[in-house]
Amino acid sequence: MAEETSPKETSSKEINPQEIMDFLKPRVGARFKTWLDICAHCALCADTCHFYNASGKDPNMIPARKVRFLKEILKKKGKVDKAYLEKVYKTIYHECNMCRRCTLYCPFGIDIALMISLLRATLTSQGMIPEGLRKAIENYKATGNQMAVTKEEWVDTIQWCEEEASAELVGLKIPIDKKGAKIMYTVNAREPKFYPQDIMEVAKIFYVAGEDWTVPSESGWDDTNLAMFAGDVKTAKMIVENTFKRAEELGVQQVAITE
Amino acid sequence: MSMYAFVAGPLLWISFAVFIIGLLFRMATFLKVSSEKDKIIRQHFNWRYVLLTYVRWLMPINVTVAKTPVFFLLVYVFHFCLLMVPVFLQGHIILWEESRFGWSWPALPHLLADFMTIAVVAIAALFLLRRVLSRDARLLSTFSDYALLIITALPFLTGYWVTHGTLDAVLSRYSMQIIHMLSGELMLVMIPLSKLSHSVLFFFSRGATAVEFGRRGYSM
Repeated sequence: MAEETSPKETSSKEINPQEIMDFLKPRVGARFKTWLDICAHCALCADTCHFYNASGKDPNMIPARKVRFLKEILKKKGKVDKAYLEKVYKTIYHECNMCRRCTLYCPFGIDIALMISLLRATLTSQGMIPEGLRKAIENYKATGNQMAVTKEEWVDTIQWCEEEASAELVGLKIPIDKKGAKIMYTVNAREPKFYPQDIMEVAKIFYVAGEDWTVPSESGWDDTNLAMFAGDVKTAKMIVENTFKRAEELGVQQVAITE
Repeated sequence: MSMYAFVAGPLLWISFAVFIIGLLFRMATFLKVSSEKDKIIRQHFNWRYVLLTYVRWLMPINVTVAKTPVFFLLVYVFHFCLLMVPVFLQGHIILWEESRFGWSWPALPHLLADFMTIAVVAIAALFLLRRVLSRDARLLSTFSDYALLIITALPFLTGYWVTHGTLDAVLSRYSMQIIHMLSGELMLVMIPLSKLSHSVLFFFSRGATAVEFGRRGYSM
């Protein structure tokens, strides 16, 4: 885990202040500016944060404090060094999971998580991103799913899952690309890769419940969205759009996602 | 022109101009920038979520008042008195009546106005104390947080002194009136120029976040 969340492998890149500002400028909208301006520093957000509570009330875990980095980077016009960004990295990846609970309690409705997300995206632009996330995003872009499962592998997995499960429940089917089905089922790409039994269990439930369901063969079947965690809005959008595209093509009424 | 005439005349005009134009500018800036960079809020804008969040947070019917009742109720009393006293104080209304505008409206009873003034000053003192004593608030606080709290309380403190002649033995009533007007003008000017701009930006910030949560089906 420690290795997976360390930016070391990808952080050989030099920090480029101009690039940081070019990245931030079109993205720091009216909301961000207002939030950084009007936060009253009342500290009401402190004990809404589970990182704060779980760390024995470490003051560095106060949500309003975590976003000081965004204010500082803007103030310094991006002129920050590697050591500084390493500090930012530690906070935005290890001390906030963007759950937005603090926002619910903030009198001004300041969205800390959006600012953390922007910081993550900014660091990504400087090559600082957890290795696991970087690989997953590459996979999404190339194959539409985080595990780089090809269409053949996916369809093949579904077919033998159907075979195995139907040995237990005679007549069980996993319909692929069934137009007009009621439910389109989507999975975590780790399931076809490592845990196909999960797919079988779900197939059994759908079968016993007598549901009219299907899985798409084209990309859109992976319902994870790891790009979102790196603040990569473009890829995150593509992933969701894939799922919607499949749902529209198949004319389903609902999209179900794996547990 | 005497000092008094200057503070009660041109300086007052300038303060009101900065206050009004400044706030209009802050609002216009938000609307302009958000139309370019916060399109998502425009696309999903829904008055239902926006108005509901205003009601819940302008009234003490929200999650934070349930979580931190004592502190948050003080926040409400503070803001309520802060807005009411300057507008509905008899002494101020008389000035409006005598001004070129000749406007007039009902005033607060003297005793109530006194009480509300003391409430503002006392609660401001408590907030200041909290900023100093609470480790978390102290860590977050910057110079402007302390300064603005004092700037906000000062017109009320000096106003009370003017009305009651508390410091007559030290300073003439006349000088105290000048100080009172100066402190009020300082606060007016600081509203658009500092985080006191939350007086209007509160509505923009809360509204935007309410839309953001509302489009996911949560009414905050």
